[in-house]
Amino acid sequence: MLPTNHVMDLIPGYALDCLNEEEKQQVAEHLSQCSSCQKELDSYQRIVDQLHEAVPPAEPPPELKHKILLGVQLKRTPEKADEAKPAWQRFWTRLQSGAPVWAYASFALVVILAASNIWMMQRVNRLETTSQAEFRVVSLTGTDKAPNSTGLLVMGHDGNMGTLVVDSLPTLDETQQYQLWLIKDGQRTSGGVFSVSKDGYGALAISAPQPLKEFAAFGITIEPAGGSPGPTGDKVMGGKL
Amino acid sequence: MDYKKFDDETLIRLIAGSQSDALGELYDRYSRLVFGMARNALGDQGLAEEITQDVFMRIWNKASTYQAVQGKVVSWIAGIARNRAIDVFRHQKSLLDGNSLSLEELPLFDPPDSLNVEKEIESKLKERRVQQALFQLPKEQRDALALAYFRGYTHEEAAEALGQPLGTVKTRIRLGMQKLREILEDEKTSA
Repeated sequence: MLPTNHVMDLIPGYALDCLNEEEKQQVAEHLSQCSSCQKELDSYQRIVDQLHEAVPPAEPPPELKHKILLGVQLKRTPEKADEAKPAWQRFWTRLQSGAPVWAYASFALVVILAASNIWMMQRVNRLETTSQAEFRVVSLTGTDKAPNSTGLLVMGHDGNMGTLVVDSLPTLDETQQYQLWLIKDGQRTSGGVFSVSKDGYGALAISAPQPLKEFAAFGITIEPAGGSPGPTGDKVMGGKL
Repeated sequence: MDYKKFDDETLIRLIAGSQSDALGELYDRYSRLVFGMARNALGDQGLAEEITQDVFMRIWNKASTYQAVQGKVVSWIAGIARNRAIDVFRHQKSLLDGNSLSLEELPLFDPPDSLNVEKEIESKLKERRVQQALFQLPKEQRDALALAYFRGYTHEEAAEALGQPLGTVKTRIRLGMQKLREILEDEKTSA
Protein backbone atom coordinates (compact mmCIF):
# COMPACT_ATOMS: atom_id res chain seq x y z
CA MET A 1 0.00 0.00 0.00
CA LEU A 2 1.39 3.41 -0.95
CA PRO A 3 1.91 5.97 1.81
CA THR A 4 -0.83 8.58 1.57
CA ASN A 5 0.80 11.62 3.15
CA HIS A 6 3.65 12.56 0.85
CA VAL A 7 5.84 15.24 2.37
CA MET A 8 7.27 16.74 -0.81
CA ASP A 9 6.87 20.34 0.41
CA LEU A 10 8.86 19.60 3.56
CA ILE A 11 11.73 17.76 1.92
CA PRO A 12 13.82 20.79 0.87
CA GLY A 13 13.63 22.06 4.46
CA TYR A 14 14.51 18.61 5.77
CA ALA A 15 17.62 18.50 3.61
CA LEU A 16 18.57 21.96 4.87
CA ASP A 17 17.70 20.90 8.44
CA CYS A 18 15.42 23.84 9.08
CA LEU A 19 12.23 22.02 10.07
CA ASN A 20 10.85 22.03 13.58
CA GLU A 21 10.93 18.77 15.58
CA GLU A 22 7.40 17.75 14.70
CA GLU A 23 7.94 18.25 10.98
CA LYS A 24 11.29 16.40 11.12
CA GLN A 25 9.67 13.41 12.73
CA GLN A 26 6.83 13.44 10.22
CA VAL A 27 9.29 13.41 7.33
CA ALA A 28 11.55 10.78 8.90
CA GLU A 29 8.64 8.41 9.45
CA HIS A 30 7.36 8.94 5.92
CA LEU A 31 10.79 8.39 4.35
CA SER A 32 11.08 5.00 5.98
CA GLN A 33 8.26 3.81 3.72
CA CYS A 34 8.46 5.97 0.63
CA SER A 35 11.28 5.49 -1.83
CA SER A 36 10.14 8.30 -4.15
CA CYS A 37 10.35 10.84 -1.33
CA GLN A 38 13.73 9.40 -0.37
CA LYS A 39 14.91 10.04 -3.95
CA GLU A 40 13.63 13.60 -3.66
CA LEU A 41 15.59 14.01 -0.45
CA ASP A 42 18.74 12.61 -2.07
CA SER A 43 18.49 15.19 -4.86
CA TYR A 44 18.08 18.07 -2.37
CA GLN A 45 20.86 16.73 -0.19
CA ARG A 46 23.18 16.94 -3.20
CA ILE A 47 22.30 20.63 -3.43
CA VAL A 48 22.98 21.27 0.24
CA ASP A 49 26.30 19.43 -0.09
CA GLN A 50 27.35 21.96 -2.72
CA LEU A 51 26.41 25.16 -0.91
CA HIS A 52 29.85 25.33 0.67
CA GLU A 53 31.10 26.47 -2.74
CA ALA A 54 29.34 29.76 -2.12
CA VAL A 55 30.79 30.37 1.33
CA PRO A 56 32.81 33.59 1.34
CA PRO A 57 36.35 32.35 2.02
CA ALA A 58 38.36 34.16 4.66
CA GLU A 59 42.03 33.92 5.58
CA PRO A 60 42.60 32.75 9.17
CA PRO A 61 45.48 34.24 11.15
CA PRO A 62 48.81 32.61 10.18
CA GLU A 63 49.54 31.28 13.69
CA LEU A 64 46.34 29.21 13.75
CA LYS A 65 47.86 26.36 11.74
CA HIS A 66 50.74 26.03 14.18
CA LYS A 67 48.30 26.01 17.13
CA ILE A 68 46.31 23.20 15.57
CA LEU A 69 49.30 21.02 14.75
CA LEU A 70 50.75 21.61 18.19
CA GLY A 71 47.40 20.65 19.71
CA VAL A 72 47.49 17.41 17.75
CA GLN A 73 50.95 16.57 19.10
CA LEU A 74 50.02 17.44 22.69
CA LYS A 75 46.81 15.46 22.47
CA ARG A 76 48.63 12.32 21.41
CA THR A 77 51.33 12.25 24.08
CA PRO A 78 49.44 12.15 27.42
CA GLU A 79 46.93 9.56 26.20
CA LYS A 80 49.58 7.20 24.92
CA ALA A 81 51.56 7.56 28.16
CA ASP A 82 48.43 6.81 30.17
CA GLU A 83 47.43 3.83 28.06
CA ALA A 84 50.84 2.26 28.62
CA LYS A 85 50.33 2.04 32.39
CA PRO A 86 48.83 -1.08 33.93
CA ALA A 87 45.22 -0.76 35.14
CA TRP A 88 46.12 -0.77 38.84
CA GLN A 89 48.47 2.19 38.32
CA ARG A 90 45.84 4.23 36.45
CA PHE A 91 43.37 3.51 39.25
CA TRP A 92 45.87 4.52 41.92
CA THR A 93 46.64 7.80 40.11
CA ARG A 94 42.95 8.69 39.94
CA LEU A 95 42.50 7.77 43.58
CA GLN A 96 45.34 10.05 44.64
CA SER A 97 43.76 12.94 42.78
CA GLY A 98 41.08 13.49 45.36
CA ALA A 99 39.61 10.49 47.19
CA PRO A 100 38.80 10.88 50.90
CA VAL A 101 40.90 9.14 53.56
CA TRP A 102 38.51 6.28 54.06
CA ALA A 103 38.90 5.35 50.39
CA TYR A 104 42.59 4.58 50.98
CA ALA A 105 41.79 2.15 53.74
CA SER A 106 39.10 0.52 51.63
CA PHE A 107 41.42 0.32 48.69
CA ALA A 108 44.10 -1.37 50.79
CA LEU A 109 41.56 -3.96 51.89
CA VAL A 110 40.42 -4.60 48.34
CA VAL A 111 44.02 -5.02 47.19
CA ILE A 112 44.75 -7.56 49.92
CA LEU A 113 41.54 -9.53 49.31
CA ALA A 114 41.76 -9.41 45.53
CA ALA A 115 45.53 -9.68 45.01
CA SER A 116 45.32 -12.62 42.65
CA ASN A 117 42.57 -10.98 40.56
CA ILE A 118 44.61 -7.79 40.14
CA TRP A 119 47.59 -9.83 38.97
CA MET A 120 45.40 -11.46 36.30
CA MET A 121 43.97 -8.04 35.30
CA GLN A 122 47.48 -6.67 34.73
CA ARG A 123 48.31 -9.55 32.43
CA VAL A 124 45.16 -8.96 30.39
CA ASN A 125 45.75 -5.19 30.23
CA ARG A 126 49.29 -5.69 29.00
CA LEU A 127 47.88 -7.71 26.10
CA GLU A 128 45.23 -5.03 25.40
CA THR A 129 47.86 -2.26 25.49
CA THR A 130 50.00 -4.16 22.98
CA SER A 131 47.08 -4.50 20.61
CA GLN A 132 46.20 -0.80 20.99
CA ALA A 133 49.73 0.26 20.05
CA GLU A 134 50.25 3.48 18.22
CA PHE A 135 49.87 3.58 14.45
CA ARG A 136 52.87 2.18 12.62
CA VAL A 137 54.50 3.95 9.72
CA VAL A 138 57.05 2.30 7.45
CA SER A 139 59.24 4.35 5.16
CA LEU A 140 59.94 2.84 1.78
CA THR A 141 63.00 3.79 -0.23
CA GLY A 142 63.78 3.33 -3.88
CA THR A 143 66.14 0.73 -5.28
CA ASP A 144 68.52 1.54 -8.10
CA LYS A 145 65.57 0.99 -10.47
CA ALA A 146 63.81 4.00 -8.93
CA PRO A 147 66.41 5.80 -6.82
CA ASN A 148 64.43 9.03 -6.38
CA SER A 149 61.21 7.42 -5.24
CA THR A 150 59.89 7.69 -1.70
CA GLY A 151 56.97 6.07 0.05
CA LEU A 152 55.09 5.69 3.30
CA LEU A 153 53.04 2.75 4.45
CA VAL A 154 50.68 3.76 7.24
CA MET A 155 48.92 1.04 9.20
CA GLY A 156 45.42 1.65 10.44
CA HIS A 157 43.93 1.09 13.88
CA ASP A 158 42.80 -2.46 13.41
CA GLY A 159 46.07 -3.48 11.78
CA ASN A 160 44.50 -5.17 8.76
CA MET A 161 44.06 -2.00 6.78
CA GLY A 162 46.54 0.61 5.77
CA THR A 163 47.49 3.14 3.18
CA LEU A 164 50.48 3.23 0.88
CA VAL A 165 51.52 6.52 -0.66
CA VAL A 166 54.43 6.86 -3.06
CA ASP A 167 56.08 9.70 -4.85
CA SER A 168 58.46 10.04 -7.80
CA LEU A 169 58.01 6.52 -9.17
CA PRO A 170 58.43 6.28 -12.93
CA THR A 171 55.18 6.06 -14.88
CA LEU A 172 54.57 2.71 -16.58
CA ASP A 173 52.91 1.89 -19.86
CA GLU A 174 49.37 0.56 -19.78
CA THR A 175 50.46 -3.09 -19.81
CA GLN A 176 52.17 -2.74 -16.42
CA GLN A 177 51.38 -1.76 -12.86
CA TYR A 178 53.17 -1.58 -9.56
CA GLN A 179 52.40 -4.30 -7.04
CA LEU A 180 52.85 -4.13 -3.27
CA TRP A 181 54.18 -7.23 -1.51
CA LEU A 182 53.78 -8.01 2.16
CA ILE A 183 56.72 -10.15 3.28
CA LYS A 184 56.81 -12.60 6.17
CA ASP A 185 59.05 -15.63 6.67
CA GLY A 186 60.19 -15.43 3.08
CA GLN A 187 56.60 -15.57 1.80
CA ARG A 188 55.18 -12.71 -0.27
CA THR A 189 51.50 -11.81 -0.17
CA SER A 190 50.03 -9.28 -2.55
CA GLY A 191 48.87 -6.05 -0.93
CA GLY A 192 47.36 -4.73 -4.14
CA VAL A 193 48.26 -3.09 -7.43
CA PHE A 194 48.37 0.55 -8.33
CA SER A 195 49.47 2.99 -10.98
CA VAL A 196 51.07 6.38 -10.60
CA SER A 197 50.24 9.75 -12.10
CA LYS A 198 52.49 11.48 -14.60
CA ASP A 199 54.14 13.17 -11.63
CA GLY A 200 54.99 9.81 -10.17
CA TYR A 201 52.69 9.75 -7.14
CA GLY A 202 50.20 7.11 -6.26
CA ALA A 203 48.17 5.79 -3.38
CA LEU A 204 46.80 2.40 -2.49
CA ALA A 205 44.29 1.39 0.16
CA ILE A 206 45.74 -1.87 1.48
CA SER A 207 43.61 -4.67 2.77
CA ALA A 208 45.61 -7.57 4.17
CA PRO A 209 44.59 -11.07 5.25
CA GLN A 210 46.32 -10.54 8.59
CA PRO A 211 47.47 -7.48 10.56
CA LEU A 212 50.04 -5.50 8.60
CA LYS A 213 52.32 -5.22 11.61
CA GLU A 214 52.81 -8.99 11.50
CA PHE A 215 54.76 -8.66 8.26
CA ALA A 216 58.48 -8.09 8.51
CA ALA A 217 59.00 -6.13 5.31
CA PHE A 218 57.31 -4.60 2.28
CA GLY A 219 58.36 -4.35 -1.34
CA ILE A 220 57.06 -2.95 -4.61
CA THR A 221 57.76 -4.54 -7.99
CA ILE A 222 56.76 -3.90 -11.59
CA GLU A 223 54.23 -6.47 -12.78
CA PRO A 224 51.82 -7.04 -15.65
CA ALA A 225 48.69 -4.91 -15.31
CA GLY A 226 46.35 -6.52 -12.83
CA GLY A 227 49.18 -8.06 -10.83
CA SER A 228 50.86 -11.44 -10.50
CA PRO A 229 50.54 -14.28 -8.02
CA GLY A 230 54.16 -13.66 -7.06
CA PRO A 231 56.86 -11.07 -7.82
CA THR A 232 58.22 -11.40 -11.34
CA GLY A 233 59.53 -7.97 -12.24
CA ASP A 234 62.09 -5.48 -11.00
CA LYS A 235 61.89 -4.40 -7.39
CA VAL A 236 61.60 -0.61 -7.20
CA MET A 237 61.02 0.09 -3.51
CA GLY A 238 61.33 -1.63 -0.17
CA GLY A 239 61.11 -1.08 3.54
CA LYS A 240 61.23 -3.00 6.79
CA LEU A 241 59.00 -2.83 9.81
CA MET B 1 57.24 13.63 0.81
CA ASP B 2 55.18 16.18 -1.07
CA TYR B 3 51.66 15.92 0.34
CA LYS B 4 50.41 18.49 -2.16
CA LYS B 5 50.27 15.77 -4.77
CA PHE B 6 47.82 13.58 -2.89
CA ASP B 7 44.11 13.77 -3.35
CA ASP B 8 41.83 14.58 -0.43
CA GLU B 9 40.84 10.97 0.23
CA THR B 10 44.44 9.87 0.49
CA LEU B 11 45.15 12.71 2.91
CA ILE B 12 42.22 11.60 5.07
CA ARG B 13 43.54 8.05 5.14
CA LEU B 14 46.96 9.34 6.15
CA ILE B 15 45.39 11.48 8.85
CA ALA B 16 43.58 8.38 10.11
CA GLY B 17 47.07 6.89 10.32
CA SER B 18 48.20 9.79 12.54
CA GLN B 19 50.20 11.64 9.89
CA SER B 20 50.07 15.22 11.12
CA ASP B 21 51.75 16.53 7.96
CA ALA B 22 48.74 15.28 6.03
CA LEU B 23 46.50 17.31 8.36
CA GLY B 24 48.72 20.31 7.67
CA GLU B 25 48.17 19.90 3.95
CA LEU B 26 44.42 19.51 4.40
CA TYR B 27 44.47 22.68 6.51
CA ASP B 28 46.23 24.53 3.69
CA ARG B 29 43.49 23.45 1.30
CA TYR B 30 40.41 24.09 3.39
CA SER B 31 41.14 26.46 6.25
CA ARG B 32 39.76 29.43 4.27
CA LEU B 33 36.50 27.57 3.73
CA VAL B 34 36.18 26.57 7.39
CA PHE B 35 37.22 29.96 8.73
CA GLY B 36 34.99 31.70 6.19
CA MET B 37 32.01 29.52 7.15
CA ALA B 38 32.56 30.26 10.83
CA ARG B 39 33.13 33.98 10.44
CA ASN B 40 30.13 34.37 8.16
CA ALA B 41 27.89 32.56 10.63
CA LEU B 42 29.14 34.25 13.80
CA GLY B 43 30.47 37.59 12.57
CA ASP B 44 33.25 37.30 15.14
CA GLN B 45 36.94 36.73 14.38
CA GLY B 46 37.79 35.15 17.76
CA LEU B 47 34.94 32.67 17.68
CA ALA B 48 35.74 31.84 14.07
CA GLU B 49 39.31 30.97 15.09
CA GLU B 50 38.08 28.71 17.88
CA ILE B 51 35.67 26.97 15.56
CA THR B 52 38.35 26.46 12.93
CA GLN B 53 40.67 24.94 15.51
CA ASP B 54 37.89 22.72 16.75
CA VAL B 55 36.94 21.56 13.26
CA PHE B 56 40.47 20.47 12.37
CA MET B 57 40.85 18.67 15.69
CA ARG B 58 37.63 16.84 14.88
CA ILE B 59 38.98 15.93 11.47
CA TRP B 60 42.08 14.57 13.20
CA ASN B 61 40.03 12.50 15.62
CA LYS B 62 37.34 11.36 13.19
CA ALA B 63 39.28 10.79 9.96
CA SER B 64 38.75 7.06 10.21
CA THR B 65 34.98 7.57 10.13
CA TYR B 66 35.00 9.27 6.73
CA GLN B 67 33.59 7.12 3.94
CA ALA B 68 33.91 8.09 0.29
CA VAL B 69 30.44 6.72 -0.54
CA GLN B 70 28.90 9.46 1.61
CA GLY B 71 30.39 12.25 -0.51
CA LYS B 72 33.51 14.25 -1.19
CA VAL B 73 35.98 15.11 1.54
CA VAL B 74 35.29 18.83 1.08
CA SER B 75 31.56 18.26 1.68
CA TRP B 76 32.37 16.24 4.79
CA ILE B 77 34.61 19.02 6.11
CA ALA B 78 32.04 21.69 5.24
CA GLY B 79 29.41 19.64 7.11
CA ILE B 80 31.58 19.47 10.23
CA ALA B 81 32.29 23.21 10.00
CA ARG B 82 28.64 24.08 9.44
CA ASN B 83 27.45 21.96 12.37
CA ARG B 84 30.07 23.38 14.69
CA ALA B 85 29.34 26.96 13.65
CA ILE B 86 25.62 26.39 14.22
CA ASP B 87 26.26 24.90 17.68
CA VAL B 88 28.40 27.87 18.68
CA PHE B 89 25.95 30.35 17.20
CA ARG B 90 23.07 28.79 19.16
CA HIS B 91 25.12 28.95 22.35
CA GLN B 92 26.03 32.60 21.73
CA LYS B 93 22.42 33.41 20.91
CA SER B 94 21.26 31.89 24.20
CA LEU B 95 23.78 34.07 26.04
CA LEU B 96 22.40 37.17 24.28
CA ASP B 97 18.75 36.15 24.68
CA GLY B 98 16.39 38.93 23.70
CA ASN B 99 18.71 40.65 21.26
CA SER B 100 17.54 40.24 17.71
CA LEU B 101 19.80 40.58 14.73
CA SER B 102 19.57 43.50 12.41
CA LEU B 103 19.45 42.84 8.69
CA GLU B 104 23.01 44.18 8.35
CA GLU B 105 24.20 41.19 10.35
CA LEU B 106 22.72 38.54 8.09
CA PRO B 107 25.13 35.90 6.84
CA LEU B 108 25.65 36.09 3.11
CA PHE B 109 26.57 33.81 0.28
CA ASP B 110 29.59 34.92 -1.72
CA PRO B 111 28.49 36.72 -4.90
CA PRO B 112 29.97 35.45 -8.18
CA ASP B 113 31.49 38.81 -9.05
CA SER B 114 33.15 39.37 -5.67
CA LEU B 115 36.79 40.43 -5.37
CA ASN B 116 37.50 37.06 -3.75
CA VAL B 117 37.21 35.42 -7.15
CA GLU B 118 40.51 34.93 -8.93
CA LYS B 119 41.13 34.75 -12.65
CA GLU B 120 38.45 33.16 -14.79
CA ILE B 121 40.17 29.85 -15.37
CA GLU B 122 38.08 26.78 -15.99
CA SER B 123 38.30 25.42 -12.47
CA LYS B 124 37.17 28.74 -10.99
CA LEU B 125 34.26 28.92 -13.41
CA LYS B 126 33.21 25.48 -12.20
CA GLU B 127 33.47 26.57 -8.56
CA ARG B 128 31.36 29.63 -9.23
CA ARG B 129 28.42 27.71 -10.71
CA VAL B 130 26.82 27.36 -7.28
CA GLN B 131 27.34 31.04 -6.63
CA GLN B 132 25.86 31.91 -10.00
CA ALA B 133 22.87 29.68 -9.31
CA LEU B 134 22.29 31.28 -5.89
CA PHE B 135 22.43 34.76 -7.35
CA GLN B 136 19.75 33.88 -9.87
CA LEU B 137 17.38 33.60 -6.91
CA PRO B 138 15.48 36.62 -5.61
CA LYS B 139 17.33 38.23 -2.69
CA GLU B 140 14.53 37.28 -0.29
CA GLN B 141 14.92 33.58 -1.07
CA ARG B 142 18.70 33.79 -0.83
CA ASP B 143 18.58 35.55 2.56
CA ALA B 144 16.24 32.94 3.96
CA LEU B 145 18.46 30.13 2.66
CA ALA B 146 21.56 31.81 4.12
CA LEU B 147 19.97 31.97 7.59
CA ALA B 148 19.05 28.29 7.42
CA TYR B 149 22.39 27.19 6.01
CA PHE B 150 24.86 29.26 8.02
CA ARG B 151 23.03 29.58 11.31
CA GLY B 152 20.82 26.50 11.32
CA TYR B 153 17.67 28.60 11.71
CA THR B 154 14.37 26.78 11.57
CA HIS B 155 11.57 28.27 9.48
CA GLU B 156 10.17 29.89 12.62
CA GLU B 157 13.51 31.41 13.64
CA ALA B 158 14.20 32.68 10.14
CA ALA B 159 10.73 34.27 9.99
CA GLU B 160 11.40 36.04 13.28
CA ALA B 161 14.86 37.22 12.19
CA LEU B 162 13.56 38.52 8.88
CA GLY B 163 10.39 39.96 10.33
CA GLN B 164 8.30 38.00 7.85
CA PRO B 165 5.29 35.66 8.19
CA LEU B 166 6.15 32.00 8.76
CA GLY B 167 4.32 30.83 5.63
CA THR B 168 6.22 33.34 3.49
CA VAL B 169 9.60 32.15 4.75
CA LYS B 170 8.68 28.48 4.32
CA THR B 171 7.69 29.19 0.74
CA ARG B 172 10.86 31.19 0.05
CA ILE B 173 13.09 28.39 1.31
CA ARG B 174 11.19 25.73 -0.57
CA LEU B 175 11.11 27.68 -3.83
CA GLY B 176 14.75 28.70 -3.45
CA MET B 177 15.85 25.10 -3.03
CA GLN B 178 13.66 23.96 -5.93
CA LYS B 179 15.13 26.63 -8.18
CA LEU B 180 18.68 25.74 -7.15
CA ARG B 181 18.04 22.11 -7.89
CA GLU B 182 16.57 22.97 -11.26
CA ILE B 183 19.60 25.08 -12.24
CA LEU B 184 22.32 22.81 -10.88
CA GLU B 185 20.86 19.48 -11.93
CA ASP B 186 20.09 20.85 -15.39
CA GLU B 187 23.70 22.02 -15.73
CA LYS B 188 24.91 18.61 -14.69
CA THR B 189 22.79 16.75 -17.25
CA SER B 190 23.64 19.13 -20.07
CA ALA B 191 27.41 19.11 -19.31
